[in-house]
Amino acid sequence: MFIKSLRSLFAMLVIPLVLSMGLGLSASAMAADEQSSQQQAGKTSDADLWRAVKSGESGYTVAKGVETGVLINVVGNEGEIVRNQYLTPVMGITVVGVFAAFLFFYLVNGPSKLSKGFSGKMVLRWTKADLWIHWVMATSCLALIFTGLNIMLGKHVLQPYIGEGLWASLIYGSKTIHDWVGPIFIVSWLLSVVKWMPMQTFKMYDLKWFLVVGGYVNFGPFKGKHPDSGFANAGEKLWFWSLTLFGLFIAASGLMLVLPGLDLPREASMAALLIHSISAVIIIAFTIVHIWMATVLSEGGMECMVSGYCDENWAIQHHNVWYDEMKDSNSIVYKN
Amino acid sequence: MAVMKFLCDTKRCIECNGCVTACKNENASAIGWGIQRRRVVTLHDGEPGEASISVACMHCTDAPCMAVCPADCFYRTEDGIVLHNKETCIGCGYCFYACPFGAPQFPKKSAFGSRGKMDKCTFCAGGPEPDFSEAERKLYGANRIAEGKLPMCAELCATKALLAGDAGVVSDIYRERTAARGAPGTIWGYTPTTG
Repeated sequence: MFIKSLRSLFAMLVIPLVLSMGLGLSASAMAADEQSSQQQAGKTSDADLWRAVKSGESGYTVAKGVETGVLINVVGNEGEIVRNQYLTPVMGITVVGVFAAFLFFYLVNGPSKLSKGFSGKMVLRWTKADLWIHWVMATSCLALIFTGLNIMLGKHVLQPYIGEGLWASLIYGSKTIHDWVGPIFIVSWLLSVVKWMPMQTFKMYDLKWFLVVGGYVNFGPFKGKHPDSGFANAGEKLWFWSLTLFGLFIAASGLMLVLPGLDLPREASMAALLIHSISAVIIIAFTIVHIWMATVLSEGGMECMVSGYCDENWAIQHHNVWYDEMKDSNSIVYKN
Repeated sequence: MAVMKFLCDTKRCIECNGCVTACKNENASAIGWGIQRRRVVTLHDGEPGEASISVACMHCTDAPCMAVCPADCFYRTEDGIVLHNKETCIGCGYCFYACPFGAPQFPKKSAFGSRGKMDKCTFCAGGPEPDFSEAERKLYGANRIAEGKLPMCAELCATKALLAGDAGVVSDIYRERTAARGAPGTIWGYTPTTG
């Protein structure tokens, strides 16, 4: 009785196991057969061949060059669509929008005046080396912006209104200038990043600067506020770090685009083109704001980059922490 | 109105590269050293299911090169052939990044190997300069379309794998071929008549 029940228990446990294993094995064998027949078909079926070609499969060719074995480059057209449908309009909107927004702000708000007027005493703010770095970078950056805008937007906003010959020389000139000015920008950008980085670390008072929009607003609760700031205010620090980061992106992607001898895959080139455009949008937006601030919004601000000296009252109002530090350490250099 | 297309029959292409040579020879006045407008790619080389395809500019209806070109130097002829103006081309290379078929080619210029004016298959239809002019011959090569002839690559294809011409005619020829191949017992691709 006991033995019999043990045997039946054994049978109950083992027989389904064996059966299921057998079934499992045969099922997997059938699956393997199906798979191998699919693989066989893959080598001979036209549909599979063209599917592989469409997904960018590479073959053998005697042609020399970049990715000549690839019959269809999948990424290229997608990059073109991203560029044409998104980046080109975004660039146009950025240029017009940021400029218009700032013009509107300036007309409503008026310039940020020195509350105590000019003192007439000039304090050293930038050395001659700083001025040189700034203006070489500024000139090259503006040349790159105008030629770059023509390369990106010219065929939509300029070409329809000018003659074919003029357009041909303008666009060729833009490309040539863009190529040759690029290295000048990269060198001056690198020098400025290295030389000015120590003055650009974020401090707690920079948060308060943002909360009162830098004290440039002449109405409402922001009126008459003069937030703390060091040598560089929070906005200038944001500009510096944006230019550092996106300057790196734009320089690296620019080199990838301008040196065909690198023989990069087309995916990398297309990615570089998109990164170059995105970085350009951000740098151009900041540049427009920067120029507005320096030339018309901040009274006495432009003088800093012309002579290297700023008015003492301007230093006290806009960069009080920096001014106090210099005063405490007795290191203020006045203009003779 | 015709829409000109290339079609390569993979069952007939024997990877002889005759089309590449025919193209290079016909357009020798324009094609610089190290450039070939057409190439033959072999998939599964030496394995079952090997297929060779001759590829050049496919003269797309929605050409990505035309869409991405910052100089807007591309145009489409009334025969649906995509051509470009080398006087306007700035050699930026964007068309090469965007083209699905790797058709645009760039001669190297001296300074840091920068790109010269782009060169690609013209469907043997020359360029924007007056037909058969010296300028057209120097910049773009042959203009067989204006002579009423089809591109040299397809005309010289020994196995008639590469077909060129109006899309309707080309696809009719190809449809007849595939229909004949699908029929049992026809090893020749057509029905031989004897006796």
